[in-house]
Amino acid sequence: MKYLPLLLLALLWEAIVRFGLVSPDLLPSLSDVLSAAWKLAREGDLWGNGLASLARGGAGLALAVVAGAVLGILMAWWRSVDAFVGPLVEALYPMPKSALIPVTVLWLGFGDGSKILLIFLGCMLPVTLAAYNGARSCEQALVWSARSLGASRLRVLWDVVVPSALPELVNGVRTALALTFVLLVSSELIVARSGLGYLIGFLGEGGVYDAMFAVVLVVAFLGFFADRLYQRATRRVLAWRE
Amino acid sequence: MLRLAPWISLLALAAAWEIFARSGAVTPFMLPRLSVVLERIGADAASGELWQNLGMTLYRSLLGFMIATTIGILLGFAVTQNRFARWLLDPLVSVGFPMPKIAFLPIITLWLGFHDLSKISMVVFDAVFPVVTATIAATAGVERHLLWSARNLGARPRELLREVVFPAALPQIMTGLQVALPIALIVCIVAEMKMGGIGLGGAMITASRFADSPGVFAGILEIAIAGYVLVKLMALLRRRLLAWHPEAEAPATV
Amino acid sequence: MFDSRPDSVKQIVVEGVSHTYRPARGREVLALEDVSLEIAPREFVALLGPSGCGKSTLLYLIGGFLPVEKGAIRIEGRPVGAPGPDRGIVFQHFALFPWKTVRANIRYGLEKMGLPRDEQERRAQAQIEMVGLEGFEDSYPSQLSGGMKQRAALARTLAVDPKMLLMDEPFGALDAQTRGLMQAELLAIWQRRPTTVLFVTHDVQEAVLLAQRVAVMSARPGKIKALVETRLDRSDPHIFRSPAFAEKVDEIWNLVRDEAIKSQ
Repeated sequence: MKYLPLLLLALLWEAIVRFGLVSPDLLPSLSDVLSAAWKLAREGDLWGNGLASLARGGAGLALAVVAGAVLGILMAWWRSVDAFVGPLVEALYPMPKSALIPVTVLWLGFGDGSKILLIFLGCMLPVTLAAYNGARSCEQALVWSARSLGASRLRVLWDVVVPSALPELVNGVRTALALTFVLLVSSELIVARSGLGYLIGFLGEGGVYDAMFAVVLVVAFLGFFADRLYQRATRRVLAWRE
Repeated sequence: MLRLAPWISLLALAAAWEIFARSGAVTPFMLPRLSVVLERIGADAASGELWQNLGMTLYRSLLGFMIATTIGILLGFAVTQNRFARWLLDPLVSVGFPMPKIAFLPIITLWLGFHDLSKISMVVFDAVFPVVTATIAATAGVERHLLWSARNLGARPRELLREVVFPAALPQIMTGLQVALPIALIVCIVAEMKMGGIGLGGAMITASRFADSPGVFAGILEIAIAGYVLVKLMALLRRRLLAWHPEAEAPATV
Repeated sequence: MFDSRPDSVKQIVVEGVSHTYRPARGREVLALEDVSLEIAPREFVALLGPSGCGKSTLLYLIGGFLPVEKGAIRIEGRPVGAPGPDRGIVFQHFALFPWKTVRANIRYGLEKMGLPRDEQERRAQAQIEMVGLEGFEDSYPSQLSGGMKQRAALARTLAVDPKMLLMDEPFGALDAQTRGLMQAELLAIWQRRPTTVLFVTHDVQEAVLLAQRVAVMSARPGKIKALVETRLDRSDPHIFRSPAFAEKVDEIWNLVRDEAIKSQ
């Protein structure tokens, strides 16, 4: 099985704590972490904070995808838009999006709004770039064929350019999905009063390390499963690519 | 495709910022004037604070980046050359890659404290993944005819890794490095924001705690410029190292 | 000038060789079945057949890049071993080291031989002149045209003075005009310095033009269907118009046609 090494690592983890090789203050045993996770789930802390996090992430990402896709395709379709916005996108791309955390807090405080805005701003760029590249890669021959078969300019945009851009866009959204988790966790670790990131910090400060480890793992695996699910769900869209 | 030079768009954006801030549509708190922000940057530069923070952040992120590069390339090679390494590392890398590794920051601070070591370690942990992935893909993708030609001309099997595989894989490895560098910077700044203290991240979070709006915006500009310069330097490095490559420009991600 | 008489001692002996490809995913493919062939020193032999008939596979086996699992291949009496400069190879897509200049590419084999630096330079320069790449010594492969790349690849292989040349559809990636020029150049080089050549191609005209003997292979799994001697006067500048040439091409095309159809 492909994931066997991970299982072995888990066993190793349990073993080195059980046999006293590492202090349980630094590394709670895997069994302690798992039971802490179970306790959190039962007592509702996990669900409440989890839902808060996912709601923020989902909202921010959804907005970023819609806005980014539209902007990217417009940039590819209308030269004037591209000429002006293009250099901006390129210049802003290397900026670390996490630098926006303090300003979103300044504007919207510690609540949901600042997180959603952060994710929206941060994720829009990769989506825009992907939509743009995808739309631009649409072969001229396809557009001309559609026109000669009677499609209007607007119809061509919808019937030809958007489907052509889809694979690249799907990949861009995948990047944005990962970035969403990063920005969500980052901002919740630093400036939040709820959410999974906040919960990690709260538990850490309280010295409840087994629960802290539990939530860290929950968050990490959430990110992993989200990516896997996304890949599954979008396999159809990418199937026709050679 | 005609594009305006970047500085024209940026200048227009800057002008729009200044005008909008002066217009009264938003409070100076929400959006301080660009002129005020630039003044603040100047003041920080004069007082030395800017250089101290910038230097610290660059030191941590670049050191972490270089460590991640070394480890990542070595691990990547190991995976393609050694079956055990592949068995062990493949699932680790594919599971770890999409994880928001920043979530492990509290664990790292628990283990390593609140100083540079934990910040640098966080950077390494995050940045190593794209390097490993790129190195694996690059070395696995080396054309077998190149290897065969080298052997045909008398190269011994153990010379192949250094003389053929590495140069052939370099373009793709460089791309991995170009992805890892911005990650290193982002992670470093987040770690600094969490732990406070000296550094661009720490300065910004302090500014936001004191509702020091110009300070926050100054930080954004400083980080944006630092990020931009680093990316451009990487692109330059790529052009130099890969002068022989048909597409000697950086990939379309930047 | 007529083809030189080969010595009676065989340089390459292929005996009952079969080869199966076992990809990590997918079914096994029998590429070659019970192939036998003997090649004398300084003979120019073409391996001709439709796509997928295993002709390249045979070349790779002789070159030592693939292990001989069934049957035997002997080079000058000894079983074939690991790849080495005695069996120079030239690939269709040139396989030049893109990070090295033309000169550095050509010097690579000489470096491996352990020659002193100035000797390496001298020999490399001689090769560069022989293939006509003066002025491009310090260019990178990405800056060269297809024909120039192939000439560089040829120079690189010839620099180590191999006992035989294994050529895997070397002109297949070139446009028709360049191909014609390269064929003439190869013939000229071979006539100046006769070496054993094993030339893989799917082009009947090319095989007849260049080779003294043409081994016609069947569709997959590849077997040697026929061995035809060309017996042509290659010094004739209008060889393409000569009836002997046309007849030979016709004869061989008839042998190949059915196999080509089978492999569609």
